[in-house]
Amino acid sequence: MRPLLLKIGATALTLGATAASAFFVSSHLKNPAAPLQPAVLSAGNGSSTSVLGGTVVVGPSVQPTDEEPITSTYAS
Amino acid sequence: MGTSCGLFAVALPLRRLLAAEAWVHELAARLTRFSSRSELSRLNAAAGEWVVVSDEMEAVLRAALRAYELSSDLVNAAVLPAMLAAGYTRPLAQGPTTAMLGGAGALPPLPEVLRVRDGSARVENGTGIDLGGIAKGWMADQLCEMLGPNALANLGGDLRAVGDGPSGGGWPVGLTDVTLMLRGQGAATSSTRRRSWREAHHLIDPRSGLPARTGLDEVSVVAESGYEAEIIAKTALLLGPELAPAYCAARAFAWWLGESHDG
Repeated sequence: MRPLLLKIGATALTLGATAASAFFVSSHLKNPAAPLQPAVLSAGNGSSTSVLGGTVVVGPSVQPTDEEPITSTYAS
Repeated sequence: MGTSCGLFAVALPLRRLLAAEAWVHELAARLTRFSSRSELSRLNAAAGEWVVVSDEMEAVLRAALRAYELSSDLVNAAVLPAMLAAGYTRPLAQGPTTAMLGGAGALPPLPEVLRVRDGSARVENGTGIDLGGIAKGWMADQLCEMLGPNALANLGGDLRAVGDGPSGGGWPVGLTDVTLMLRGQGAATSSTRRRSWREAHHLIDPRSGLPARTGLDEVSVVAESGYEAEIIAKTALLLGPELAPAYCAARAFAWWLGESHDG
């Protein structure tokens, strides 16, 4: 008798967990509007400064200045 | 390494600046390919064998492997044979040698020819490593750590700046014809306008094994670090004018794309 009760209990527990999981999943549908991807700057998001021979695009985390540079990326 | 170095720091004892300079000389002597006695040359000469390497060499080699991944295979340090074939066999101050590009082909995947484990490394036969820009960007980042919270290190154009700079607004750095204030950022220029000779130059396209002809001949970027800036600038140049704008927009804080006059 006791093994039968254990089997019935285990089956009921499994079915209950399955039903609860199905209910949880169906009530938490993926929001297609959620920001699943990190924001990526588009080429147009930066400010552009025209220079001889082209354009420098400067994003918001970098500030142009009128100061004299103390060094440059053209060191070699 | 055939390039110049600039170190700047605010409120730093002179001895620490001199110690950083000494470190640059020491590491440059280890990483140059222009001396047969350098650690890099000994690694290349022992192709096919595991070689004991210093901590710094191990770190730069690992940085090269990571650069390969980050650039989707475009920044490939296994470029030495192709550079030699292009005539870049010695410092350009001594002049290039005759280019022999007839047998050029795509470079092998870096992880297949460069293996690194704790304290040792192995280069496979038939290839060779040039650490060039990767080493410069990596060294600039390391130097900023050494120089303290308000400093700038420029290794041949690959630079990193930390802190508020000399006047409090950041470090004014020239990027093409504009000046940008950098604070906790790196910058680099990848160019075929310099280090070029006759019809060749030093920047090899790993897809062909030949000097790159992508429609861009100069790219400058500002990024998180000197190392990343070097990778992004070189990758963008190799991607060419159609893909580089979106690539830079996704990865760089600021950028300049110089198109080739010859298309």
